[in-house]
Amino acid sequence: MAHGDRRRVLRRTAIIVAAVAFSLWMEVAGFLATPEAEQREIAYVTLHATVPLVFAACAAVAWAIGPNAVPARLMVAFVVLWIPQAIFHIIGGIGWLWPIVRGIDLVWAVISGLLVLVYPRGWLADRFDRTIATIAVVASVVNLAAVLALAGPDAAPCDPCAPNAYRIADAPVLFAILDYGYRVVGVGLALVIAGRLLVRWIRGSVPARAVAFLMPVSLLAWALAIAVQATGYITSTSTGMVIDTVALLAMAAVPVTFVAGIAHTRNMRARVADLMRITREGADRGLWAESLARTLRDDSVRVYWWDEERGRYVDAAGRLIDSQEAGRGHSILPVASPSGLPIALIRHDRVLTDNMRLLDGVSSALRLSVDNGRLRSDLERTLEQVRQSRQRIVEAGDEARRRIERDLHDGAQQQLVSLGMNLRLAANTARSAGQHELASELEDAIATLNQGLKELRELAHGIHPSLLSQGGLALAVPELAGRCPVPVEVDVQAEGRLPELVESTAYFAIAESLANVAKHSQATRAWVRAHVEGETVVIEIRDNGVGGASLDAGTGVLGIADRIEAVGGELELVSPPGSGTTVTVRMPLHPPTTDAHAASGAALLVAAEASDPVPGAPGAAGVPAGGVGTPLDV
Amino acid sequence: MEQSGADRTLRVAIADDALLLREGIAKVLQGGGIEVVASVGTADELLAVLDGDDLDAAILDIRMPPTHRDEGIVALERIRERGDDLGVLLLSMYATPEYALRVMGAGSGTGYLLKERVSEPQTLVRAVETVASGGSVVDPEVVEQLVRRTRADDPLARLTERERSVLELMAQGYSNGGIAQTLFLGLKTVETHVRSILQKLDLEESPEHHRRVLAVLTLLGER
Repeated sequence: MAHGDRRRVLRRTAIIVAAVAFSLWMEVAGFLATPEAEQREIAYVTLHATVPLVFAACAAVAWAIGPNAVPARLMVAFVVLWIPQAIFHIIGGIGWLWPIVRGIDLVWAVISGLLVLVYPRGWLADRFDRTIATIAVVASVVNLAAVLALAGPDAAPCDPCAPNAYRIADAPVLFAILDYGYRVVGVGLALVIAGRLLVRWIRGSVPARAVAFLMPVSLLAWALAIAVQATGYITSTSTGMVIDTVALLAMAAVPVTFVAGIAHTRNMRARVADLMRITREGADRGLWAESLARTLRDDSVRVYWWDEERGRYVDAAGRLIDSQEAGRGHSILPVASPSGLPIALIRHDRVLTDNMRLLDGVSSALRLSVDNGRLRSDLERTLEQVRQSRQRIVEAGDEARRRIERDLHDGAQQQLVSLGMNLRLAANTARSAGQHELASELEDAIATLNQGLKELRELAHGIHPSLLSQGGLALAVPELAGRCPVPVEVDVQAEGRLPELVESTAYFAIAESLANVAKHSQATRAWVRAHVEGETVVIEIRDNGVGGASLDAGTGVLGIADRIEAVGGELELVSPPGSGTTVTVRMPLHPPTTDAHAASGAALLVAAEASDPVPGAPGAAGVPAGGVGTPLDV
Repeated sequence: MEQSGADRTLRVAIADDALLLREGIAKVLQGGGIEVVASVGTADELLAVLDGDDLDAAILDIRMPPTHRDEGIVALERIRERGDDLGVLLLSMYATPEYALRVMGAGSGTGYLLKERVSEPQTLVRAVETVASGGSVVDPEVVEQLVRRTRADDPLARLTERERSVLELMAQGYSNGGIAQTLFLGLKTVETHVRSILQKLDLEESPEHHRRVLAVLTLLGER
């Protein structure tokens, strides 16, 4: 790609250099060939020769930054077609050539007109422009045909010219009418273009007038100068040095203002980038209107937002849009999401319509921002739902464990204890009755039963430690530590009871961690610390073992980590090889509510709607109350 | 121990929310010559019974309605707060050292047994008799758990195997005489072991039997 770029630059440079060389040759050779008496002042000729140089320089710039290649090509064409009248002193003797040159020696004016018309987009945007261009081209073709067919030897300043090789009739009056008519049409078109742009410029908002609309001013100056010159040509009077100089300067100003305008647009695009940056994180309606006004340099910008409920566009204060809002001098730019959902209308100064790329950028930014906001709030809502359902699952699991333990305690365990007692009574009866064999069989059954009871007790304890529900962490953790084969130092400081979910989560986290200490750490000491710090429960399980534990290694810790995250906490595992393992758990003392709606993300823009206290004044919108991008204050 | 029953028939009340067990316990106790005056389902009902009658002992389930947590122990603490020194034996489905300590901490004449001991009538009857006479009873399983606990710088490591056995019986509430009987040792030998144990564990010899149990349990729990 870089290679192709370089070749393109080389080609463009070659074209520009060739055009400039050709132009300079015409200028210099023509000047030298002109009899001394007829020569214009050196200063004028120099100025005349400078005009295409300016065009050539601007072509180079326009190629680099222009919206497309059209303006640059027009500028290069101008360089080639900027034909000095003096050239006829060289080619006047060539009968087949000079009429052609004579026929196109005003095309540069058409080209400069086209250049103005394609500003700033690089193409003819509306019917008016296309009509003007068509008239100019048709007039030029007619003029060329007229010159070829009718021009006599005195039609060009070559004194005398060779006979016109294409001449088919000698009709000096018709030729004069067509020749003058062409000029009149050209001046008329130039004045129309300049006048139209000038009117728009006057109607435009003040900031928009600045650089972008220097173009019609220079064009107007040029058109006026041309008009005066044409009048002079027609009436065969000299127009004078001042008018000539002004015309040349005005001409040279056209490409410069064109390029300056493009550069300005690029600057605008940079501001669109700024707008993107400002609003990327989501912005409320007030900030949007304010940023838009700044980006577009148009204080009259209004943004109307789509109100889904009412099916209408409303302003930032929620008022319905006035049907007359578009009004004079303003255009409306609708912005819709990629799926076609309406988002907003931007009412802006009509002159900005010329800057479609800017408006495109702005509406893209708006679309992106709003879409991002929607996606973000959707995502946050979904995440919140997932979090809540996770917490509910954990709570339900806890509840199930508690219920099973209680069912065992009140059911199977009691029954079995009672059964043991009855077996004992039966054994005693058997022994009293002398049935010693039966008695000892019954006693064996009792022993088996007691072993079973012990195992059932362990099982029930593992399912849910009754001590935890009865005495909280302060009782259950020391008991847990006591079961660990590695000596454990316990430090539990929790005033009173914590919420059940927090207690059970902490308990199982400690249980799992201690199980890992026993199984994998080869530690000789372990420490368990459980403190309530403000609104956070901090639990630390540390050992002096071999370390090197990871969350991937054992699903046990991973399961616990999941569980802790489900209640809004986090688990951190630090286990450098050879330096023991520390598991740190942090949980909110009061897990967020699982109420389905309490914490769900606020709908985008609805939140902002209420936060703009200045109705109808987007530029002075109030301080946003809560960014739209962060509906969840997590 | 049987002779204490011969002196006078012990009168007790039972509180357990499981009717089946309640009746079983009553049957076992009656079989052991103990009179069951009342058999109720909650701690509050039991307290009401105690208000109206002068009993020798109460047998309470720890986990009872309404919260199914530690109603039995709370009732024990309320009984002791009222200055009532009747024997209280708490029954539990789990052997929980933390509860045992809390029960012992309530004062003398208390006991803590696993429910499954109802299938060992002598154990249950003896426990009731012990608490009724102001002694202490701790379930062997609790003591086993406590002794099994591992601690760094374990003071128990300083004990001989025989001393360890004696310590476990001390923790269960046995008197020196009871220990001598259980281990088939002479009373003098047991006394020597006890003195040695107390010295090694840095415990003070207490004239009151109950304090000894509590001190040993506490030591085991805190190790």
